[in-house]
Amino acid sequence: MSEDKTKDTPVHFNQERKRKAEFIKPPNTLKAKVGSGGLSDKILEKAQLLLENNAVDFQPLAEMYLGTMIKGIEYAKSPNPKEDKENIISAMLYPAMQLKANGGMFHYQLVTIISDRLVQFLEVIENPDIDAVEIVLAFHTTIRAVILGKITGTGGRHGEELVAALDEACMRYFERYPENKSGAPQDYDTKF
Amino acid sequence: MTYQLHRISVLVVEDNQPMLDIVKSLLVTFGVGHVVGAQNGEIGFKRFCEYNNDIVIADWMMKPMDGISFTRMVRNDSKSPNPYVPVVLMTGFSEKRRVLQARDAGVTEFLVKPFNARDLYRRIVQVIERPRQFVRAPDFFGPDRRRKKPKGKYEGPYKRESDIQNPDIIKVLQKQQKDAHDTLERIREKEGLGKGDKFDLGPDSY
Repeated sequence: MSEDKTKDTPVHFNQERKRKAEFIKPPNTLKAKVGSGGLSDKILEKAQLLLENNAVDFQPLAEMYLGTMIKGIEYAKSPNPKEDKENIISAMLYPAMQLKANGGMFHYQLVTIISDRLVQFLEVIENPDIDAVEIVLAFHTTIRAVILGKITGTGGRHGEELVAALDEACMRYFERYPENKSGAPQDYDTKF
Repeated sequence: MTYQLHRISVLVVEDNQPMLDIVKSLLVTFGVGHVVGAQNGEIGFKRFCEYNNDIVIADWMMKPMDGISFTRMVRNDSKSPNPYVPVVLMTGFSEKRRVLQARDAGVTEFLVKPFNARDLYRRIVQVIERPRQFVRAPDFFGPDRRRKKPKGKYEGPYKRESDIQNPDIIKVLQKQQKDAHDTLERIREKEGLGKGDKFDLGPDSY
């Protein structure tokens, strides 16, 4: 009987590579085209002014996203037991994300700040229970009031108070339902 | 001297028309020579095949095709004229898991909305000045997902027979062997042990 030579070889030695990766360095044609030197501050300031002076009316867009959100809220209030919880949350999360993304682009920074809190809340909950949905409804009502009141900018002290009240509502919810908070930490500095 | 952006073409894929107009205007103000717009990923891919743009800026949430699926098509579809094109993904999401999802689809840079003119400019500078090498693996094709370079030389164990063919690695292995030998000598000296004696190699042994 032949001796098994591999018997004494540690299992971690000489294993097959599980994945083979090829590294490719594509030619930097972009750099070759544009050269170097960047852009002047004057151009960047001009671009920023263009952004700040855009006269787009955000209200119709916001109403559209709020309408989608209310459908998501109604859907969450009468969920199909077979429906995935992730899908129910997504139906409210995506319009919230759009409001967060677009509010600040069209002078409604307060909408961005409030929607950001809502996105964080929806990213953290695991079960869209009735109390969680009530909180989403409170966010919806607040954002709608900001839009209808044409409160552009951050809303000053009143804006801060609104955000603080919504924050407190979220904190109270998690004090009551700590089990409904996923362990995923919020990270706004991740780069890749 | 400044960037000659008039020599390049940029594709902007965004379903929100006011937002599309704003991004296009910003790029024109930067001096980009040719700016092409598309309302969703499907149209965006057609435009990309037509114009072979130098940079692509795409929104994430779009219907019928979102920015992630669009990026996968740009990277992997046989009709794609340039699978290495830099793709900047615009989105309101900034949570880590979302960033990782975009990264795994082959996105080059991530631009969180709302953004200002400088944020957009920085992403453009990034793709011009710091192009990413690409990785082709059985389950991934796209820019190298590792941003951080390993610090210093690799000093971990070498576990493959093929490693031993490399003269540099042989030197490292010899040094590791010598260090291990010296450590054993030190333990023996400290404990008054001979070469044949057995001893416990617990964490507090040396």
